[in-house]
Amino acid sequence: MGNPYLEMRGVSKRFPGVQALTSVSFEAYAGEAVALIGANGAGKSTLMNVLGGNLQSDEGEILIGGQAVSINSPLAATANGIAFVHQEMAMLPTMTVAENIHISSFPTRAGIIDRKAMEASTAEVLTRLGCHFTPDTRIQVLSTGDRQMVEIARALLSKPSIIIFDEPTSSLTSREKARLFDVIRTLKTEGVTIIYITHFLDEIFNICERATVLRGGSTVGGGLLSELTTADIVHMMIGDVGLDTRSAKHSTQQREVVLKVTGLNRRGVIKDISFSLHKGEVLGLWGLLGSGRTEVARAIIGLDPIDDGQIEINTGSGLHPIRPREAQRWIGMVTEDRRNEGLLLPMSVKQNMSIANLRGLLSRWKLIDNRRETELATHFVNRLNIIISSLGQPVKTLSGGNQQKVVVGRWLELNPPIFIMDEPTRGLDVGAKAEIRRIIFELAEGGAAVLVISSEIEEMMALGERYLVMNRGQIVNELPGTSTKNELMGAAAGAAQME
Amino acid sequence: MTTVQGSSVDNAGSLLTRLRQFVTAHRFFDILPILILVVVLVVLALFIPNFFNSRNIVNVFVQASTLGLMAIGMTVVMISGGIDLSIPSVMALSAIFGAMHLRDGGSIFVSCLIMLTVGIIAGSINGFAVAYLKMIPFVVTLAMMTIASGAAIWVTNSVSVPVFDEVFFDLILARIADIPRPIIIMVIMALIATLVVRRTLFGRWLYAVGVNVRAARASGVPTNLVIFLTYVISGAFAGLTAIILSARLGSASANMGNDGVVLDIVSSAVVGGVSIYGGIGSPLGAVMGAIFITVISNSMNMMQISFFTGLIIKGVVIIAFVAFDSLRKQ
Repeated sequence: MGNPYLEMRGVSKRFPGVQALTSVSFEAYAGEAVALIGANGAGKSTLMNVLGGNLQSDEGEILIGGQAVSINSPLAATANGIAFVHQEMAMLPTMTVAENIHISSFPTRAGIIDRKAMEASTAEVLTRLGCHFTPDTRIQVLSTGDRQMVEIARALLSKPSIIIFDEPTSSLTSREKARLFDVIRTLKTEGVTIIYITHFLDEIFNICERATVLRGGSTVGGGLLSELTTADIVHMMIGDVGLDTRSAKHSTQQREVVLKVTGLNRRGVIKDISFSLHKGEVLGLWGLLGSGRTEVARAIIGLDPIDDGQIEINTGSGLHPIRPREAQRWIGMVTEDRRNEGLLLPMSVKQNMSIANLRGLLSRWKLIDNRRETELATHFVNRLNIIISSLGQPVKTLSGGNQQKVVVGRWLELNPPIFIMDEPTRGLDVGAKAEIRRIIFELAEGGAAVLVISSEIEEMMALGERYLVMNRGQIVNELPGTSTKNELMGAAAGAAQME
Repeated sequence: MTTVQGSSVDNAGSLLTRLRQFVTAHRFFDILPILILVVVLVVLALFIPNFFNSRNIVNVFVQASTLGLMAIGMTVVMISGGIDLSIPSVMALSAIFGAMHLRDGGSIFVSCLIMLTVGIIAGSINGFAVAYLKMIPFVVTLAMMTIASGAAIWVTNSVSVPVFDEVFFDLILARIADIPRPIIIMVIMALIATLVVRRTLFGRWLYAVGVNVRAARASGVPTNLVIFLTYVISGAFAGLTAIILSARLGSASANMGNDGVVLDIVSSAVVGGVSIYGGIGSPLGAVMGAIFITVISNSMNMMQISFFTGLIIKGVVIIAFVAFDSLRKQ
């Protein structure tokens, strides 16, 4: 196979207090796709940021085509033929595809933007990608999948020889995903080197030739994927930690209903949602991305308006209908986007943990009782094993896992009878994931009713006692806790194909 | 060539980043406004012999009291992430209605009540538009400012409404232990407002809304109600200020709330450490800021610097503090 086209040797990077990369080596050959795999915090992003010129490594060298190169800025990376397709697409929705693609380097003629040249080069790239929209289409009318294509088109414009894909499929439908893979295959035949970062192991076997696995900032393994199994890779990723095993399932027959949703509707978003949630139960809301899982949760607690439907909660003396805005007194919801819709980032751990329970902290004079606020926060920081330097520490300085525990702790302080957990372990490393799951079990054992939404089937398998399968805003199926992984996958996929 | 460009951009970027880190890392910057106030006072003491004359000091504080009260109202709105540009014009309109009632033989109590009520009504309209109709605070309150000042001129025909009531003057302006009541009212209101924002349910919600309204909502905070109330409160402070200012001036006129006043209020808040971006600041700080702004105006007066030069200096001070605010905001 000859020499690798791209080689990173002995790359080390230290951040204040953390050794992010320790002598990492990485190589990729022309015309192949290499999967870069690792748990959160393994160092994938840091390594790619070094390659993309966003970060400078402390030690190590980068060779492209056998030549040592210095990549000290994103522009230098582009000059060396490296392009980055980002996970989070930063686009200007009111501008056209052509404008978005050329935003960093408009072709000009006598100082005026050369619209013709711009649209011609855009059309060329779009044809290569098999896209059917024109260069003058505005971004805002495109689907997520098409936007992803625009992002790739932007990367292709500089005619790169190395393209880094960072979680490109996380918001794509299966059809869009297939199209993306076709594009990647074409790029490979053209001799482009692909670096593919993902959490989805099935994808890498589909599209990549080789894998490099990082753990804790070091290269721990890799090789040709034709010689590896999923189990091998998972083992390299997480080391010798036991995988999540399924919890004991109880029958839900005799337990009382604490939340009853009947005929919940929101035009164009969710339709005719009816279900019951029982005391001590973990109910999984399962479905593909965009099937309406999050929207159901948001409608129940009143974050989004509903057109009609009834929500009843057992407030102690049987089921009572409640208005959505009141629901948050009995339902604690951990939202999927903890940074934008969960934490008060600049505020302290203590204030973040008390915010849902302030009514319970008022003293005789209707003032917040500082001492009780501190006591409660201390109690839950200890119980959830949150690592902080002090209760006054701003939440934005915590790691993802600890931040998520703060959000969970906030609702534990309120101690509601019902919890909704929307992607409770997203973006967390394996250890933190396990801890959050343990907390969910403890809540259910303590008699709380928990509705869990997760995109990770392993997590669903580990947590759920019963599953509601969603598609296109409707509940289309209910599965028992004994369902196998294939049954769950089949239900979600089958539901999506039905229409 | 591209590489060279890239690195020079990076250098400028890293310099700013370092400045930012320095500002956020040192607690010293939290007390910067007070430090500057002290330095300015020392300079004034050296250059203006009469500055620390107790009459002048009392005078400065009385002047600062009305500005300070309005700045408290503004602070509450700004912590929630909004802004209320209508405070001075609403204040003037409230004063006019109250003064007209007093002029026509009404009671002092009812006059004061009218002034507070007009402020609260205007604030409620602002609050309703911003919180429930999701309108932009800047536009809503700018429109309210125009409406209130238009109404003030229309009602008065640009003639000031005299207030001649010794009992009213006495009630509002009398001294307690040699300190005029406006100063005492300002200090008490600042303390109460600080207690409210720091230790009550509303206060904690207020900061949460200012920091991240979506996160606050997801945590069960009634965000619309909180935002609505901030404008009601700033309206009420406009009404309270109207009472004191109409007594101090012995009249009420549309001119009380001229364009310069709103600038002074925003300056007071910003100099006092209230963030334009919401979520940071305290009423006590804003009152300190009001004193600072009044001291600057007063001393420029005494140094015989022209009004217009004074405006330029004030503008520069505000830009400096807003720059500091945005550096602090990482």
